[in-house]
Amino acid sequence: MHRKSVAQWLVRFFVALAVLLLPQALAQAQEQKAVQQGAAQQPGAAQGQPAEAQRQATQPGNNAPMWRDVRSGDINAYQTTQVRGRETNILIQTEGEMWRRVRNGPVTVYGGWLVVIAFLVILLFYWRRGEIMLHEPRTGREILRFTSWERIVHWTTAIVFVILAVSGIFMLFGRYVLLPIFGYPIFSALTVLGKNLHNFLGPLFVVCTLLMVFTFIRDNFFRSYDWTWLRKFGDFLKGRHVPAGRFNAGEKIWFWLGVLTLGAVVSVTGLVLDFPNFGQTRETMQVANVIHAVAAVGYIALSLGHIYLGTIGLEGSYDAMRHGTVDEAWAKEHHDIWYREVVAGRERPAGSSPTGAPASAMKEGGKA
Amino acid sequence: MARMKFLCDAERCIECNGCVTACKNENEIPWGVNRRRVVTLNDGLPGEKSMSVACMHCSDAPCMAVCPVDCFYKTSEGVVLHDKDLCIGCGYCFYACPFGAPQFPQDGAFGLRGKMDKCTFCAGGPEQDHSAAEFRKYGRNRLAEGKLPACAEMCSTKALLGGDGDVIADIYRTRVTTRGKGSDVWGWGTAYGKPETQAPAQPQPGAKS
Repeated sequence: MHRKSVAQWLVRFFVALAVLLLPQALAQAQEQKAVQQGAAQQPGAAQGQPAEAQRQATQPGNNAPMWRDVRSGDINAYQTTQVRGRETNILIQTEGEMWRRVRNGPVTVYGGWLVVIAFLVILLFYWRRGEIMLHEPRTGREILRFTSWERIVHWTTAIVFVILAVSGIFMLFGRYVLLPIFGYPIFSALTVLGKNLHNFLGPLFVVCTLLMVFTFIRDNFFRSYDWTWLRKFGDFLKGRHVPAGRFNAGEKIWFWLGVLTLGAVVSVTGLVLDFPNFGQTRETMQVANVIHAVAAVGYIALSLGHIYLGTIGLEGSYDAMRHGTVDEAWAKEHHDIWYREVVAGRERPAGSSPTGAPASAMKEGGKA
Repeated sequence: MARMKFLCDAERCIECNGCVTACKNENEIPWGVNRRRVVTLNDGLPGEKSMSVACMHCSDAPCMAVCPVDCFYKTSEGVVLHDKDLCIGCGYCFYACPFGAPQFPQDGAFGLRGKMDKCTFCAGGPEQDHSAAEFRKYGRNRLAEGKLPACAEMCSTKALLGGDGDVIADIYRTRVTTRGKGSDVWGWGTAYGKPETQAPAQPQPGAKS
């Protein structure tokens, strides 16, 4: 049993490592492609050359074609510099202004309001409806819902996520919101700390995301009853009974859209930004930065809903992830299909061993 | 108050890289950092031109706009400076700058770039003028000594001009309007067409010879 889980863990680790190394390989391939493209651009540059040479012959001293090329940021093989370094032979890069407008404009403004509005909507909901309570009295019998491995993966990811989210918010919105509160020296010191935490914990978050996906994917495939759940989402918020497996449709959406999709997007773009030593161009990093910020803001907005329902929004849900067990009444009310499978012994209680008897997972009395 | 500007006359720049060396020497810039560089366009082809480029001290500076900690400031003379004590080394100014002016001492993994360094128009930084701390972080404060930037001051062909924008504009305008003669004069070809087609044309009485 133990040996088996270790082997399982090793397999997961190496798959994670392989996926982790993929972006680096891609970046290198891209670099090679860029070099090849640069070589291929030379004839094109020579093609553009006669325009300038012709202009020199007809209108001496008129360098308009050349300056147009410089202004457009088009680089050719005849643009050189003695100063070593990346992109030092580019006189003017025009993409930076576009990046500035997109980042300082829609990304900051709409992104900021998205987070604020998501928070306010949840606050309003909590104020109007309050916590969704259990309808049946607690039975006192506990069912194992999350194994210790699942809880370790979840909480590591969660803590890293919160640190990344807060430091990211500092870097994107802090100047407008927090700088006036803290003042320059304190805000700068906090942002230096945040930036370094962000850059060093970022790669850990990539690992966490992979572990999350491998750990929880099994119970997150959509089933037919998930459509019923989605149709009755309003009933769920009103605290009425809706059918759900081990994870309900909302949790599944959070898994596929948040953890997997947005997690993958912020991971890949984050690695591009975090390792400038691989020689990415400014344009690559500008694009990566915008995608990173948009995905991260969306992820943060979604996470607010997940955190709310996992803590103060739904009675008993925090204890499930904190201690790993849930009351039978809670399981029956919120995850009835999973509960019936556990009781019938068809389903392992919390995804540990398929042969594990449900009775062994059930414990009398209080929480472990 | 003067509005400080750089101007590089591409007709005069000979790519000697003297400005780069002068800047490095005057400000004792660390290895790997180049506040100024010379870019040659159409290198080895007819119409080759060179340009010296550094921070252009923009009126609407993109670096100032994107800095997450707002560490940039503009002096009353229009010089864009930054506070290295506030800089977090994120590299955003480098993404935004059209001229590639912001420099970082490192390019390490995990985004460890060090504090940003860039051309100060030889105007130091927020520290006390001529203090040791100012020199260590930002280099010489020549403006406070009543001098102009070292790069422009030593330029052997006076291609690179640095100083009050009005004065520089006057110098450059004079150069442009008096440079060359006959059909070499700037704008002649644009106004009157190809030089070789002018001569065979019917000689007009009173036409320039």
